[in-house]
Amino acid sequence: MTELADLPPAPAVSGTTLDGTEIFTISAVENGALCRSTGVEPARDGTAHPIYYYIATQVAMGQTVAGLCAVCEFDVDDGPMMGSSGVRFQAPLRTGGQYRVGGEILSLERKKSRKLGVMDVLTYRLRLSELAGAVVLETDNVWVLPRKELA
Amino acid sequence: MSYAAGEALPPFVIESVSPDAMKQWAVFLADPNPIHLNVEVVKAKGLGDRVINQGPINVAYMMNMLMAAFPDGRIERMESRFLDNVYGGEKAVVSGTVTAVDGDRIDCAVQLDVDGRGTVNSATATIELTR
Repeated sequence: MTELADLPPAPAVSGTTLDGTEIFTISAVENGALCRSTGVEPARDGTAHPIYYYIATQVAMGQTVAGLCAVCEFDVDDGPMMGSSGVRFQAPLRTGGQYRVGGEILSLERKKSRKLGVMDVLTYRLRLSELAGAVVLETDNVWVLPRKELA
Repeated sequence: MSYAAGEALPPFVIESVSPDAMKQWAVFLADPNPIHLNVEVVKAKGLGDRVINQGPINVAYMMNMLMAAFPDGRIERMESRFLDNVYGGEKAVVSGTVTAVDGDRIDCAVQLDVDGRGTVNSATATIELTR
């Protein structure tokens, strides 16, 4: 079996910007549909479901899912897997709220596991900000990119 | 309302994970990955015989449990780990426990279990009580 030291390194993508250019607006109608799709009614105080931390940052970052994989020289059809997701809120998200996304890739590390074989572990950080600039939340996501061609 | 370390939180139950919801979330997430939409793709990839729930929906289930357990609080921090897939039609149950109380901040451990397969997501979270 190939040793990790014998493999080529993971692409050097740390620091790649993920700043978005689009404004993300949390629609009250969509928030209602989203809440009901998970088995709850939307809040009546104007707050949006907190899972919009993930949705807003993914949709409005500077890459699509496929594009982010491509930056890591990984074909999205090979099946990226979510490893973990963390969020730190500074304020609640609001329906009608408009937000921008900034962020960057923190690391891409090549590893081996008994279950998945060779894989690259991607860690990236995104920040969601109000248009006036106040940061509302910061999220770190970790994806596992199985490198079947290197197994 | 007061909380104490070791206290179990009321569970949040999803009687049947909805493939229709996965179609909605493909739009919400702007991510049309077919493993969430087309069972034939799931089979072809050797990932099972039912469509696979998007990971963020599982986090939303866990958040729903926390929001119901702490109606006078907000999620300040949450770290979620994805341990296994959740499939369409499965029954899923979120459970949780208070692990620490520090003034108006409550730390919790949360997990999402599916019938017959055990824990598929786990999380830790801090709730800030706002009233």
